[in-house]
Amino acid sequence: MTTSLFLVQLINGLQYGLLLFLIASGLTLVFGVMGILNLAHGSMYMVGAYLVWYFVEHTGSFGLSALISAVIALLIGILMERTLIRQLYRRNHLDQVLLTIGMIFVFNALQGLLWGNDPLGVAVPSALSSAIPVTDVLEYPVYRIFVALFCVGIAALMYFMINKTRLGMLIRAGESNREMVECLGIDIRKLYTIVFAIGVMLAAIAGVAAAPMSSIVPGMGEHILITCFVVVVIGGMGSIKGAFIAALLVGLVDTFASILVPQLSSMMIYILMAFILLIKPQGLFSS
Amino acid sequence: MLFNKRTERIFFWVFFPLALLMPLFLAENTFFVSKLTSIMIFALFVMSLDYLVGRCGLITLGHAMFYGLGGYLFWMIAPEYEAVNFWVYTFYICMIAAAVALIIGFLVLRTSGIYMIMITLAFAQMAFYFFSDSIEFGGTDGLFIYVKPETSIFGLSFFDLDNPTHFYYLCLLSLFNTLIFFRILIRSRFGRVVDAIHENPGRTTALGYNIFVFRLMSYVIASALGAYAGYLFTLQYGFVNPSMLAWTTSGSALVMSILGGMGSIYGAILGTFVYEGLHYVLEHLTEHWMLFMGALIIAMVMVFKNGIAGSMEKLLEKRT
Repeated sequence: MTTSLFLVQLINGLQYGLLLFLIASGLTLVFGVMGILNLAHGSMYMVGAYLVWYFVEHTGSFGLSALISAVIALLIGILMERTLIRQLYRRNHLDQVLLTIGMIFVFNALQGLLWGNDPLGVAVPSALSSAIPVTDVLEYPVYRIFVALFCVGIAALMYFMINKTRLGMLIRAGESNREMVECLGIDIRKLYTIVFAIGVMLAAIAGVAAAPMSSIVPGMGEHILITCFVVVVIGGMGSIKGAFIAALLVGLVDTFASILVPQLSSMMIYILMAFILLIKPQGLFSS
Repeated sequence: MLFNKRTERIFFWVFFPLALLMPLFLAENTFFVSKLTSIMIFALFVMSLDYLVGRCGLITLGHAMFYGLGGYLFWMIAPEYEAVNFWVYTFYICMIAAAVALIIGFLVLRTSGIYMIMITLAFAQMAFYFFSDSIEFGGTDGLFIYVKPETSIFGLSFFDLDNPTHFYYLCLLSLFNTLIFFRILIRSRFGRVVDAIHENPGRTTALGYNIFVFRLMSYVIASALGAYAGYLFTLQYGFVNPSMLAWTTSGSALVMSILGGMGSIYGAILGTFVYEGLHYVLEHLTEHWMLFMGALIIAMVMVFKNGIAGSMEKLLEKRT
């Protein structure tokens, strides 16, 4: 492998890892704070991609479409939490698994109903459609670099929100002792709604960001969901820091495995996960 | 008595005589006979999962791994153009699957709760990609089984596997035996300890039982039976493909088991028949059947907490 190819793959791996972090962070946040395992999280990734396609078709502007899609996702999140997820806080994981599998069915059916089952594509926004030449024959698309930087920005924002703001303080308090938070006179139900809606929105934003890089197909949600499980489990359920490191690890392993050991490439991240869980059954950074 | 609940006895005496007579009414309609056969095969698989999740409290999202393994194992160990003995290969496949389950269970059962859900999923995905990516195993297309086994015991052959009605009765017999087997297992000393572990692992440990060994044994038994169901599926359709081990197979089996009534064992048959029946009807009514299926699952979690078996028991059992 030449140095330039190595560099391109390194950036690819990091960029993929950062995108995974965006989805996995929502999953792990919801689990850490609310104790809910949301299998329908991947569906929101799919919803984000389809929404941005729909609005780009109608408005022509990617930025505006992205914004509208994020807001709609936030509203869907609030609706989901208020009507269904709320009933599950005192139930076991099995009921949560079942309810969210039901939601996957509903989301997939709605996607088929509204947008059909043909693969769709979104054009890369014109401002970001150029490519940076790496060598004479290799070049790297600006949009991918933009997505990577955008994900880093979101990660920084989340770090700031959780560690420095009042909302973050409540989230951390809710994680360690929910009864005590309630005793202090804080409406934990409102906090849960906010956390769930943010988690869902993060997944949808990842879907929006991924839309111009990959084709929009039915079932894209389930595929990414399983990969995010791997990330969340390696990082330790509920740990955002863990999710960040694990997402980069998974992104890099997946990218390099497809070049170095193509026969094992799809299995590699699961092997990694099994290996890590055998050494640390609670993941790398369990809370 | 083998069945300690009235509902269970009623189910037993309604379902099995009906299933026994069914092919007489459907003699002309081989489509329905094979449809019912495939539902019974899946019910057997769901039953093994129900034992694991409902009785042992070991939630797994990777049970389909053994379902697929049952099919692939047959292709691997049986000669391609020669009819082998069905019973001998049943024994081989269950034993190999049990050995695999022993190793995987040893690793998986070190974790618990949500981590166990995830790591079982990880192993199943590994198996899924192993088979769907390899050319030797036919990739995503899977493989064909050209010759079905013969079923003679001591020179007597009761079933001809190429005949759908014969195959139907073989699957009914398998389902019957599995139900009886689980009932005996649950009533045995072993089953009592497993129930105690589900109820309170800490106290069972304090009583001097090694709970890891009991869990591992349960995992091995359920996995071997899951592989047997996959083996029957492969024989019915004459092929094996990676979608058998997809996580959606595990997921829908879990839904059926919960729909039937978790941990009731006979509920697995109810759940599978109701789910597959609804699936069949909705699929023919509308192409958006998933919407109704999803809504049904959500409603089930919200309202109908103990599944069909639980609701029936509430209606039929004498109040004490």
